[in-house]
Amino acid sequence: MESKGPFKAVGKSIPRHESFAKVTGQARYTDDLDLPGMVYGSILRSPYAHARVLHIDPSEAEKVDGVLAILLPEDVPQRPFNCAGNPPSPLLIKDEKVLTDHPLYEGDRIAAVAALTPEACQEALDRLVVEFEPLPAVFEIEDALKKEAPLLHPEIAQTNIFKKMEARKGEVEKGFAESEYVFEGEYHTPDVQHVAMEPASCICHYASDGTLIVWSNTQTPFQDRRLLAELLDLPESRVRVIKPATGGGFGARQQLHNQHVGALLSKRVRRPVKIINTREEEMVATTVRHGSFCHLKVGVDKEGRLKAFHAKVYLNGGAYCTHSPIVLAAQTRKFQYRIPHYLYEGYAVYTNGPVAGAMRGYGNPQLTFARERMMDKIAKELGFDPLQFRMRNHLEVGETIPAHTFPLRSCAIKECVEGGEEIRKRIEDREGTRKGKEGITEAWGIAFACHTSGPSNNDGMSSCLILVNDDGSVNLAIGSADIGQGCETTFSQLVAEELGIDLKAVAVTAADTLHVPYDLGTFASGQIYVGGNAVQQAAQDVKEKVKVALADQFSVDRGEVRYENGHFKIPTKEGSAMLLPFREAIAKISFGRKGATIIGRSSFKAEESPLPFAVCWAKVAVDHSSKTVEVRHIIEAVDVGTAINPEIVRGQVEGGIGMGLGFAMMEQIEFDRRAEKPSSSDLLHYRIPTVLDMPEIHVYIAKGSYEPTGPFGAKSVGELPVVPVAAAIANAVAKATGEEIDSLPLSKNFVFKRLWQSQES
Amino acid sequence: MKTQETLIELRVNQVSYRITVRPSATLLDVLRQDLGLKGTKRGCDQGHCGACTVILDGKSVNACLLLAVEAHGKKITTIEGLSSGDKLHPLQEAFVEEGAIQCGFCTPGMILSAKALLDEIREPSEEEIREALSGNLCRCTGYVKIVKAVQRAAQAMGSH
Repeated sequence: MESKGPFKAVGKSIPRHESFAKVTGQARYTDDLDLPGMVYGSILRSPYAHARVLHIDPSEAEKVDGVLAILLPEDVPQRPFNCAGNPPSPLLIKDEKVLTDHPLYEGDRIAAVAALTPEACQEALDRLVVEFEPLPAVFEIEDALKKEAPLLHPEIAQTNIFKKMEARKGEVEKGFAESEYVFEGEYHTPDVQHVAMEPASCICHYASDGTLIVWSNTQTPFQDRRLLAELLDLPESRVRVIKPATGGGFGARQQLHNQHVGALLSKRVRRPVKIINTREEEMVATTVRHGSFCHLKVGVDKEGRLKAFHAKVYLNGGAYCTHSPIVLAAQTRKFQYRIPHYLYEGYAVYTNGPVAGAMRGYGNPQLTFARERMMDKIAKELGFDPLQFRMRNHLEVGETIPAHTFPLRSCAIKECVEGGEEIRKRIEDREGTRKGKEGITEAWGIAFACHTSGPSNNDGMSSCLILVNDDGSVNLAIGSADIGQGCETTFSQLVAEELGIDLKAVAVTAADTLHVPYDLGTFASGQIYVGGNAVQQAAQDVKEKVKVALADQFSVDRGEVRYENGHFKIPTKEGSAMLLPFREAIAKISFGRKGATIIGRSSFKAEESPLPFAVCWAKVAVDHSSKTVEVRHIIEAVDVGTAINPEIVRGQVEGGIGMGLGFAMMEQIEFDRRAEKPSSSDLLHYRIPTVLDMPEIHVYIAKGSYEPTGPFGAKSVGELPVVPVAAAIANAVAKATGEEIDSLPLSKNFVFKRLWQSQES
Repeated sequence: MKTQETLIELRVNQVSYRITVRPSATLLDVLRQDLGLKGTKRGCDQGHCGACTVILDGKSVNACLLLAVEAHGKKITTIEGLSSGDKLHPLQEAFVEEGAIQCGFCTPGMILSAKALLDEIREPSEEEIREALSGNLCRCTGYVKIVKAVQRAAQAMGSH
């Protein structure tokens, strides 16, 4: 992990290895698979946000041609579970059932059907006669906290607050007493949806030999395996989870979706059962980003140095626990400024709204929106430049952020600022900034963010095997789940670099629990840091084993073979040395009397979760007469440590900006108050940015960052870029309008104007 | 409940098919289930996401919004019809080279919307490209590399 290059494979923007399959339509996603004997499954979901099921009459549904099985709540295990695809934790309250007679949100699973065709499934669902008793429901955090609010889980908590999390440093009250200025603010963000383009999909085959095979789009094959094994009382060795090509995740696939229902249906009919969510099910019956309410209090001295920070955060958890306690815990570890006194108090609240779970950023975009709005407010009040104010307070290498256990070992925030400012100045030189001319005011806003590389509680763990073939090519077997971010390609670059071999000589087998060892999965931006460290260690193990085999082959002492500058160096009797590159070394040891098979292995447990950093600028144009906002430019500069594949990193940043723009401007799960349920049930009523909505995007990747604990200096990128975008846009709009902006999306108060106009004629 | 099945003829990727279909089956159902052309994706089944875009008599359409019987006698191009062997269409090549692919689920529809555009306008402006792709949602890329890929392909095709 010491070498800083120059690198041969690391730092190269090679196209991702599945490119050909994806552009030709040959990539196989779950719904593209058809198995012999396969049938279909569908789920009857609650039309009410809160109800009691009094009676279900399946007799008419059973008569539908092609119906094979109907499962009611009493037909399935009633042991509660938690669907979160996280490593086991006592924080993850088990409060959910596979099928329930007491639905707690619109979309809750009540019954399921297996049939020969999707049409027969639908007809059977239509003919299931269910008698409901609708019950009072609450959707807003504020309402759920009222005394008279219906209690969602009396078996868990005597209020709707099901988890409180606290993190502190110093004494925050003392800090406020010592501050010259104290600022307070309240901020709201809505529930938003991931909108991965591929709907949740699974095929579950419970075979007669008591083995369950699941093909599904998942971020966490090994967590799914454990959860399914527990639910079905099977040893993990008899549960096999396979992830085919996966059409996006963003956290949505870090929960079991329908795999449990599919497994139980298959157990009943003993045929493979395919369940594909409709887009409506995706919208109402998967998970969302937690809506939030955040109260901030910040103390500052007269030099503009932060003295005390107190955040009180309420997250709308929806009807079940899922990830919420861990989302709170993750929020405690995202404060990148120097602060002597810090108090974070977080509360997860049950409501009858959509279930909240993991989503790209995992609590960070909400808190960053609040904090970075507040930073701008303080800078403005005290007359500081917003950028200088942040830099004056920013942590440096060697310092530790609150609630973390390790100091920063890499931080290129200064290079991010300089790189982004250079881009901003070029834009300004080109187009200037309109100040009120023709009723239009333009302004720039800025926001900082940090995130994590692997779970911030240092829970990251991964392992892998590298099987060396006799021609010197290698097969990497790793549990990691590539859901579109390109980590399989990036891993192959790490292997090629460490072994000094050609990229084409590396093939990757991933995400099939029968054939690869444990990996935590794709979440917490952990694949390159956690999985990548495992990959590099396994490659180093390969080299150690090759050294031993060469020593045996050439009858020299095992300690005498070295690896230097891409070659194995074997001393000869004449006192010189034989130099063999990897491929030739393998040729010498593969066959013959002392033939050896080389298998590198690793088990990596993260002890740290280093922070990547981002600085984001947004330029907006506000038309005061019509209250329209046009987002013209977004610049994002990132410190991700070494960018193993710079174009993949750039793509992640660009995509994060797109998602952040949606969060800032337009996205929100809307509620129909009269029907007492969400009305954002399709992609017309829940708009995500189209190509016409996107501003000009500019990305800067810091080159001067090297994380000593990461593989070849890498940290992470996946979630980071989405985090600061909404705050940067809101800061720009606040500056242009002079209005205090404390909630998202901005389209509640402004008209979002597309940058690219449709052609008039 | 039995429904009348109808015999239709389709010419897909220059191959003729005669098949019987349910009247309610969409072109998307038939392409994926009857013809096994799984490259055409089902993202929403409501005409909102564009993942099922195919080219029908030269125009890009959402296959999920068209009944199969309406496609009777029509010429259809799906993503499987663009490359020949290992030889990619310039659009496919450009998507690979620009890194315009992430999860890949929107990619077939994106490429076909772009192809319908480039078949009509050889040197489209950036606005025209964005307009042509505005019915295709992508959640991974921010569209930056997708637009660049279409520009690159237009250039490559123009220089041929």
